[in-house]
Amino acid sequence: MILTTGKPHAISPTEPMQPFWAEITEITREAPGVSTYWLKFLDPNLQEGFHFKAGQFNMVSVPGLGEAAISISSDVEDAHRIGHTIRAVGNVTSAINQMDVGDILGLRGPFGSWWPLEQWFGRDIVIAAGGIGLPPMRPILYYISHHRHDFGKVIVLYGARTQNDLQFTREYKSWQDQDIELQVTVDRGDDSWQGRVGVVPILFYNTRVDPHNTVILTCGPEIMIRFVIFEALARRVPPERIFVSLERNMKCGLGSCGHCQVGPFFVCKDGPVFSFDKLQPYVNVEEL
Amino acid sequence: MTSQQELIKALQAIPWFHVMTADHFNKIVSIARIFKFEPGQVIFHEGDKEDYLYVVLEGRVAIEISVPGRGRIRILTADAMDEVGWSSVTPVVRQRTAGARAVLPSRLVAFDANELSKMCDEDHDFGYFVMRRLANVVAGRLLTTRLQLLDMFANPVEQKED
Amino acid sequence: MAAIYASVGSTVALPKSALDQLVSKLIQMGYRVFGPQVQDGAIVYKTLTDARDLPKGYISQQDSAKYRLVYTGHPRYFDATPGAQSWKQFFFPPQSELADYTRDANGHWQMAEHATDLTPLALFGVYPCDLAAIQIQDRIFLREEWKDPIYWSRRQSAFILAVNCLHPCGTGFCASMGTGPKANPGYDLSLTELDDVFLVELGSEAGRQVMEGMPILPTSAFWLQAGQKSLEDASTRMGRSLPRPQDLPELLLNNLDANQWEVVARRCMSCTSCTQVCPTCFCWDTHDSADLSGQKARRDRLWDSCFNPDYSYIVGGNSRPNTRSRYRQWLTHKFGSWYAQFGSSGCVGCGRCITWCPATIDVTEEIKAIREEVQA
Repeated sequence: MILTTGKPHAISPTEPMQPFWAEITEITREAPGVSTYWLKFLDPNLQEGFHFKAGQFNMVSVPGLGEAAISISSDVEDAHRIGHTIRAVGNVTSAINQMDVGDILGLRGPFGSWWPLEQWFGRDIVIAAGGIGLPPMRPILYYISHHRHDFGKVIVLYGARTQNDLQFTREYKSWQDQDIELQVTVDRGDDSWQGRVGVVPILFYNTRVDPHNTVILTCGPEIMIRFVIFEALARRVPPERIFVSLERNMKCGLGSCGHCQVGPFFVCKDGPVFSFDKLQPYVNVEEL
Repeated sequence: MTSQQELIKALQAIPWFHVMTADHFNKIVSIARIFKFEPGQVIFHEGDKEDYLYVVLEGRVAIEISVPGRGRIRILTADAMDEVGWSSVTPVVRQRTAGARAVLPSRLVAFDANELSKMCDEDHDFGYFVMRRLANVVAGRLLTTRLQLLDMFANPVEQKED
Repeated sequence: MAAIYASVGSTVALPKSALDQLVSKLIQMGYRVFGPQVQDGAIVYKTLTDARDLPKGYISQQDSAKYRLVYTGHPRYFDATPGAQSWKQFFFPPQSELADYTRDANGHWQMAEHATDLTPLALFGVYPCDLAAIQIQDRIFLREEWKDPIYWSRRQSAFILAVNCLHPCGTGFCASMGTGPKANPGYDLSLTELDDVFLVELGSEAGRQVMEGMPILPTSAFWLQAGQKSLEDASTRMGRSLPRPQDLPELLLNNLDANQWEVVARRCMSCTSCTQVCPTCFCWDTHDSADLSGQKARRDRLWDSCFNPDYSYIVGGNSRPNTRSRYRQWLTHKFGSWYAQFGSSGCVGCGRCITWCPATIDVTEEIKAIREEVQA
């Protein structure tokens, strides 16, 4: 643990690849193959001092298997624990998926750029998320819930493949109780689903957006992001008020290993949160 | 409220009717009716002859296709102010290509498809107005369908359908 | 002769015959000396114990996909220009251990501390292009927020003896990149090889200390002029050139859809040779392993390459699924994005990628072709 700018982080400047151990204190099953792991550093000083901003991620490690870059999906103001919502897709995440309360994981972080909430006071916020793109947004929703009067209208447009894949369903009501409008859709539904069937970008058709005062945030499959941006631009929201969170192969989180580059940017360091004006020259270049 | 008044009030609530000329509005009122559906109630079946173009006033309607071995798949839902059954106004399609069923208690306004087509033929200004609106609807549906086709949420670990 | 005091920043002359004393002095001071030697028909960097092991009498002939070392018997040590190896292997080894874990009695993973070998390295015979490359890699591995411990432990104490390049390699374009043929500051000592002496520039206190006790002579105007002339000569005999490299970020990043990317992709085999021989390429991968008992685990760091198909894996596929996108990434990063990321070009003009590309792809020609396509 090291102090930089007065705040401890789980990054050692002399050993930046060294993980710090944290214990799983609770597991919340969110959807098939997706769970939130609530972690607490073994070193209480580190836990107390660990601060992150909404949108940042940690490198979560399992010795012998590797590391995965996972967004922090818990409340920035909760000092007691760190939440990571993890979908089992590879060796590391599948191994974590088999773990129990009491097991130990390595953490390094927090890394990356964050959602600049302080720029959005008084503004309307539209959050367009898809599938596993909602967890990186959850810290924003917690923050807004605690500071509701700092923001204007807040609308969440959220979609997943099926109703079983919707994340955080247990929390929807508490968000709605905080005057956060929630519109949910799924790509395909069956008879038991009473909600919408369709895709996230289409939800914009029912949403009134004031281009002068709205911020649009989006995270999810890159195709969905592209079409959400399309809808946002069509409603004349300026590119500097559209924010996206990108995902790329990450091995270090430090801007050192090179894997996460998109154009001139390291997604781990210059991102994962970008304002769209920065990405505009690159977003339609295939296979960049 | 008489059903005619109810009808006029309902049509006036639909955004694209605001920009209609009074003449067109009156014509379209004459071929409109209001239907109410309970959750689970069928509005039309796949294969039915096209009879009405619907606009949802309240509630939610699911568009479904029955796939042998997989059952009824809900491919889209229509909420308030969405159209259902746009193909009834196009010349080529003769039968419903999917079924529609109410998901929530719903109120729909229905336009006689035959009469609507005739009106479009006789008054090209009106016809252009209607077709433009429907072109928008179809564009939105196509976009949705394409994104659904891409199955962008597919979990790469799964190799087959669950 | 009266004792000559050589100060940092001065240039002295060292008789050719005393070169071996320089090597011995470094060894005696505790350095592990690495220098160019001939092996398997190429220049490689190996432990140097004796100046006689240097490639005296050799010349190198390099061109696209061509490298020859020819022994002509001439009396000079440093005519032969670098081969496929660069000095990055010493500060940024191709494979190194990041962590060694063992489970303790509670079943918790503990990291084992390994003693780092802190023997200082002396790099003997660093050509100006390669010195510039080291300085570029310094910016990558040593940052304000963190320092790579492997790089840091070796780089801090390393002694660099640079050699000015008087016989341009043929594939290099260091003059265009401003990195040669004369070494820029950053060396402890630099040598310019004349017929009977080396002109030795003292670049640092470490360099001055190494030169203490050496049989140095004062530099005459004749020698200085001879050295100057050789260098001027060398800069006119570059085999390749790259006009206006500072214009390349804009040119390349604004033309990501150029047809030339298709054209070069048909030739490129994505073999990763260029990234391996390049002295500035820094991409790396991690490799985790465990033993069968589940009690021990390891994490290693390995060189990686943006041409490696797995490099751009993302959940659901590969963001660069073909050679075209990978070659474009490499070239636009090296000559374009690097400026925004690290404040300079990523290329030092050493020419290795041109010499060692089995498909005879020449970056200067590729850039020229893009320029022509864009101007058309």
